[in-house]
Amino acid sequence: MPQSDCLDVVLYKDRAMDVINSAQTEYKKIETKHIDFFPKIIEKMQTSTLNQQITQDSTNEVETVKLNLMEILRSIELLTSQVNDDHKEFQKTISRYEKVIDKKWKQDITIASNPDAFVDKEPVLQRTIALHFIRQGKFKLVDTFMQDTQLMDFTTDLQEQFDHMYEILDAINNFNLELALEWAKSKRKELEQRGSSLEFDLHRLHYIKYLVKQQDRKGALNYARLNFNDFQTRHMHEIRRLMCAILYIDRLESSPYADLTSNDAWTDIQTTFTRDFCNLLKMSCDSPLYTSLTVGSTALPTIIKMATIMKEKKNEWSQQDELPVEVPLTDDMRFHSIFACPVSKEQSSEDNPPMMMPCGHVICKESLNKLSKGNGRFKCPYCPSESTSNQAVKTYRTVFSRMATRDVILGLIIVAADAEILTYFDMKF
Amino acid sequence: MADRFDSDSLLALEKAFLKVPLVQLRGSTSKAYKNFEKESKHLQTQIKQLQNEIALNNKVDADKIREIHENIEKWLGSSKLEFLEAHREGQKHVARGRQRVDHLSEVSLITNIYDPKYKEWTGKRADRVIVDYLLREGFRDTAIQLARESDIESLVDIDLFTEAHVIEQALRKNRCTEALRWCNENKSSLRKINSTLEFILRVQEVIELCRENKREEALKYSKEHFKAYIDVNKKGVQDVKKTDSQSGPIRRRDNVKTISSDDPLYKQYLQMMGALAFPPNTTCKPYKALYDPIRWERLIARFRIDFYELNALPSQPLLNVTLQAGLSALKTPMCYQHENKNIDCPVCSPDTLGTLAKDLPMNHHVNSTLVCRISKKIMNEDNYPMILPNGCAYSRDALAEMASKNDDKVTCPRTGEVYEFSKCKKLYIL
Repeated sequence: MPQSDCLDVVLYKDRAMDVINSAQTEYKKIETKHIDFFPKIIEKMQTSTLNQQITQDSTNEVETVKLNLMEILRSIELLTSQVNDDHKEFQKTISRYEKVIDKKWKQDITIASNPDAFVDKEPVLQRTIALHFIRQGKFKLVDTFMQDTQLMDFTTDLQEQFDHMYEILDAINNFNLELALEWAKSKRKELEQRGSSLEFDLHRLHYIKYLVKQQDRKGALNYARLNFNDFQTRHMHEIRRLMCAILYIDRLESSPYADLTSNDAWTDIQTTFTRDFCNLLKMSCDSPLYTSLTVGSTALPTIIKMATIMKEKKNEWSQQDELPVEVPLTDDMRFHSIFACPVSKEQSSEDNPPMMMPCGHVICKESLNKLSKGNGRFKCPYCPSESTSNQAVKTYRTVFSRMATRDVILGLIIVAADAEILTYFDMKF
Repeated sequence: MADRFDSDSLLALEKAFLKVPLVQLRGSTSKAYKNFEKESKHLQTQIKQLQNEIALNNKVDADKIREIHENIEKWLGSSKLEFLEAHREGQKHVARGRQRVDHLSEVSLITNIYDPKYKEWTGKRADRVIVDYLLREGFRDTAIQLARESDIESLVDIDLFTEAHVIEQALRKNRCTEALRWCNENKSSLRKINSTLEFILRVQEVIELCRENKREEALKYSKEHFKAYIDVNKKGVQDVKKTDSQSGPIRRRDNVKTISSDDPLYKQYLQMMGALAFPPNTTCKPYKALYDPIRWERLIARFRIDFYELNALPSQPLLNVTLQAGLSALKTPMCYQHENKNIDCPVCSPDTLGTLAKDLPMNHHVNSTLVCRISKKIMNEDNYPMILPNGCAYSRDALAEMASKNDDKVTCPRTGEVYEFSKCKKLYIL
């Protein structure tokens, strides 16, 4: 991370903490004010001279009554103005805090949204929410939601799947792996094809359970004999290591196998299991709604800033195909390979695909056409070699479909390591 | 970029979250105070009157003195009760506000996005955002259940939305009473935002009376309620125009909203009066429109806007705002190409989020990205792409990990073919 970025992070963090801290201080003030505001008023009402005045016996003497009434009036005025002052002061405290909030959140967040974007899509949005509830195992909530929205009950099948998943996860949480193993065995082929070693990982953990939790040498050995056989081709190395660990069963913590005792393995296996289970259902590990919302709140400051500037310039952006600025994404939120032309800085599209020149550098078609101005010779912007535009190859369609790396398309250049691989590009250099 | 953790943006949504209990606190105290003050003024004039009387007649009416004494006692007694009640009510809001500030402070404990606390906090936020949506859409039972299950009842505004829901339901049944009561309770705040809600509610009431052919009552009603708005004295209207021509459509004068003759509301008023002459089945266009039930939908929409604004709530559900931002940020052209879908990408689900994202702009990218299909990690100089003999390329880390677990063999997840790791070749990104 470049230094300026680091600074940014520190500053950001400070700014957020500033707000939280000042919110806390201001809130303390409101709390204390509130706690003594009303008792103070009530006390004033009780100790007010009014109470004595009105209990005084009213004689019929005109002058006394006059005086008494004047006193009462003055007391009422005094009491009212005192309460008024207190009330005003309390409201002021609230206003001060409101100002702190307004200062931090200057923009109305709705500036970042297009109120019409989801019009007529309410059922889709509700379906998304229902799926989100199912993904979290909130089945009773789904039932209520179905009643509230009168959506069709479309999800029973999926509900059963996730019910099963949560049952297994629950068991793992209680250090019981039987259910998970049963499932993994039934899906062995699919898992292996995905390159997942879940089944072995589960057996491994089960074996470790004998070793660490029960310190049962015999049980561990038996378990290994019974279950490791199926995995010897793929996991020989690890199996050897596990078997060696049995020698240190009494003092694993101080042995070279101390890592086996870590409890993290039990949380890790839950993550792996959830991922594999969802992936076999052709679903993501996290609920997509959760992912989108998390990305959304990170994206909002950038979009709000952009929308504010666009509004000042009276430019419309929400109807366009592409945002005018890049919303930064964390690496785990980048799901697709993207080719941005290094010359025009535009993303490739169907009409404007990336083109590879004979030298191996890739730029988009429009930039290529501009450089070659029709059909003439031109120099690659990144190296001294010259080429003509008809020598360039559409990477998307030809080269990469042959390579089957459609989603690995190119960084600025991909140069294969040796001539053998260059044949995959089907190009002669 | 990778682990960049920006707690500032973590708080992007939280303005209303902090503000709503404040607005409620303010409301709960000022009601008791207003009554106290009103009654105090009333008493003061009463006493002054009596003083005048005594001065005039030089005689004391003992009954009147007693009455005043009683009134004062009543005033003090009921004010005390009201203040105590307001205190209880306010305490609730203060506690909620405190819980919210504390909830936000938990952000300071999160160190990076892989921290389990991060997931816990953002998960709670997702629940809050969904509850907000459910409440706005009127799915109350689901909202309450979700809030309870996720233990976020103090972090969402169920009571507030319930209040709005009741009024909306009444409007849906073509009844204005509840909405008008709400307008009355929030008179000064509504005036501050130049709300026309009460006016159009009144217009609707007259229209409904006309619909039922109760013209006499309609006439009476409009006489009673529109006096405050329409200044019959023409000179008055002109005066207002001269002094206040810069301000909004509804002018304030002596705490009464008045409407000038070129105001659209005035036209509406004239039209409404005209409706007295036309039956509900009229074909005459402007009057037909007045009888259109769609006016009720508009009333509800208007009410919502004002209700949300008064309570410091954003006009759009947080879910819509956040989701749109998120989907735009994630959207790429590849999400809609079958062979390039990634099951982890939310926009790639065609039936749900993909449909929602359809009309949204996609993110702008100035740099290329290579994503490994196995590990879903970004490929770069440290984690470079490696190409398998079948032509598929994946990140080094993912292949190496697979090889270490599988006796130095790698399985291509696309084709299922198995290769020796050593047969994989490095690709250079320059």
